[in-house]
Amino acid sequence: MIEVNNLHKNFGQVKALDGLSFSARDGEITGILGPNGAGKTTCLRTLYGLLKADQGSAKIDDIDVSQQPLLARGRLGIFPDKFGLYERLTAYEQIDYFASIHGLQGQAKKQAIEEVIADLDMQDLAYRKTAGFSQGQRMKVTLAQALVHKPKNFVLDEPTRGLDVMSTRILRNYLARFKAKGHCILFSSHVMQEVAALCDRVIIVANGKLAAVGTPDELCTLADKTNLEEAFVKIIGSDEGIAA
Amino acid sequence: MIQFNALLKKELKEAFRDKRALMYALMMAFMAPVMIYAVSNSMIKDLTDTPAIYVNIQGGEAAPKLMALLEDEKILPLAEVTADEKRLWQERNIELILPESFAEDMREGRMVDVILRADYQDKSLFSPLRRIKEVIRSYSATIGSQRLLVRGIDVRLMQPVKLQEQDTAEPTSGPMLIILSLGMYLMMAAFVSGLSVAIDSSAGERERNVLEMLLCQPVDTMKIVLAKLSCASFIAVIGVILTLVLTYFAIGFVDLSKIGATFNLDFISVSALLLLLLPLCFFASALQLFFAFGAKSFKEAQSTVTMVVMLPAFVPFVLSFINNKPQWLDWAPISGQSMLIEDIFKGLPVNWSQVGFTTLVTVVLTVVLVKVMAEKLKSEKVVLALS
Repeated sequence: MIEVNNLHKNFGQVKALDGLSFSARDGEITGILGPNGAGKTTCLRTLYGLLKADQGSAKIDDIDVSQQPLLARGRLGIFPDKFGLYERLTAYEQIDYFASIHGLQGQAKKQAIEEVIADLDMQDLAYRKTAGFSQGQRMKVTLAQALVHKPKNFVLDEPTRGLDVMSTRILRNYLARFKAKGHCILFSSHVMQEVAALCDRVIIVANGKLAAVGTPDELCTLADKTNLEEAFVKIIGSDEGIAA
Repeated sequence: MIQFNALLKKELKEAFRDKRALMYALMMAFMAPVMIYAVSNSMIKDLTDTPAIYVNIQGGEAAPKLMALLEDEKILPLAEVTADEKRLWQERNIELILPESFAEDMREGRMVDVILRADYQDKSLFSPLRRIKEVIRSYSATIGSQRLLVRGIDVRLMQPVKLQEQDTAEPTSGPMLIILSLGMYLMMAAFVSGLSVAIDSSAGERERNVLEMLLCQPVDTMKIVLAKLSCASFIAVIGVILTLVLTYFAIGFVDLSKIGATFNLDFISVSALLLLLLPLCFFASALQLFFAFGAKSFKEAQSTVTMVVMLPAFVPFVLSFINNKPQWLDWAPISGQSMLIEDIFKGLPVNWSQVGFTTLVTVVLTVVLVKVMAEKLKSEKVVLALS
């Protein structure tokens, strides 16, 4: 369960977050949509505890991120905006590294790594150094290292960027499985069809504020449009950011 | 502890798999003995070499013994000069004029005027003239003493005072330079060996977008900094030990005693050297990580950290110019170690209390740097610089 309550964040004169509130519930995939510069990344970084909100709070499973950042992060699996890999390590070693950081060890760690490798169908990649991996392969490694400790909550910042159809399907199936197991998934994307197909609820953020929230169908009804993209444009009040 | 072990293991794996960086790190260690060997040898050659001097001698046939003495000291008649040096010595035109009556005057016991004529202001003639004067003086003194001896007089009467010169600057300026460069080299090894690892694991990771991922994890930034510091320092320690061992063997091939220098590296001085250099490895890596984390890009990190590497070369150089050193230089990092290492190489007894104090100050400063870095990694500024 992820809860964001009245978040405010200013960078000098720029208001990045202006009283943003929403919640992402367990057993649901919550999509977060917004044009570029709407405050999505600032919001997610506040959620990871990297940035401190000027006002308001972010809670993960009722743990306040600003007060107990390490405990809160332990319950998160993060697929960040920009992700890189340790190119001198093999995929297995990277997943192992993050598993250890989350406190896994011994047989339990080995089992968790093997499970995530099998789930993401990356057995043939596991023992190769990650230098020269394709975008899809890199996504898989990043996803595996974010989820190896089976966190209750996932935050994915545009995970399908640059992925081919097959990799996107693997990711979707993977997320659907975790949703079924009762995990809370917060997912940001610019691809409307994907959000419409995958998300139970959609949060639309514009100018650092919550612009609308509801199921994709509810949002279409609210905006009186037939598809999510049109509804989104109407709700945020411009076509800015759609081309991004 | 699981976290720290994982962090350190990963840092070490990455460091040891980056073969080029590792080669660069250890290049210093392999170059040191070669350089020390070459420099020492050429310096010994310069200092012990006595090149031939060619003098325009007139009337030499009357004094065969003096001529033989001059020849022993490589002071030769101008007629014997080699073709390529002919012009040089003709221009220098050193004249040694013996009177025709030399043999007769000697026999009679009369004082003989021997004239040494040259441009006494010409610096290049200082050494040749000194050598000629020494030969003539010793020849004169020998004949004089023999004359007294045959008359049954104690030669020592002629010398009521004998000046004993004792040079307290143990090694002369030549070996001093070797020693200074050796100390500097060891400190450079501490600074250079861990350099690439320090930059790569900080500014490099930020540029490759892996630092943000790590900072999002439930791990204390202190552990992250300590793991990175341990890894870079470990490589620096390997570099220093390798430099020390290889230099020790290289110096064995150089005969420093030829120029009156003693170089003894016994167990105690090696331990003192290690005790001085190991904390310096940690300090150097902490300083490099500090600047690399503060830099905006990998390139900026490279240029600022390179300036840090200049410190161990720069500090001893400046110290050698300061006559009245302020007290704090004794225990400040780099300068304290530099002076103590110099003393060890000079063969002076190790000042353990100063070793302890310098080490303490270095360790305290390293701890401060680590704490500041751990705090800085939590700050928003560093996070905002990520994108």
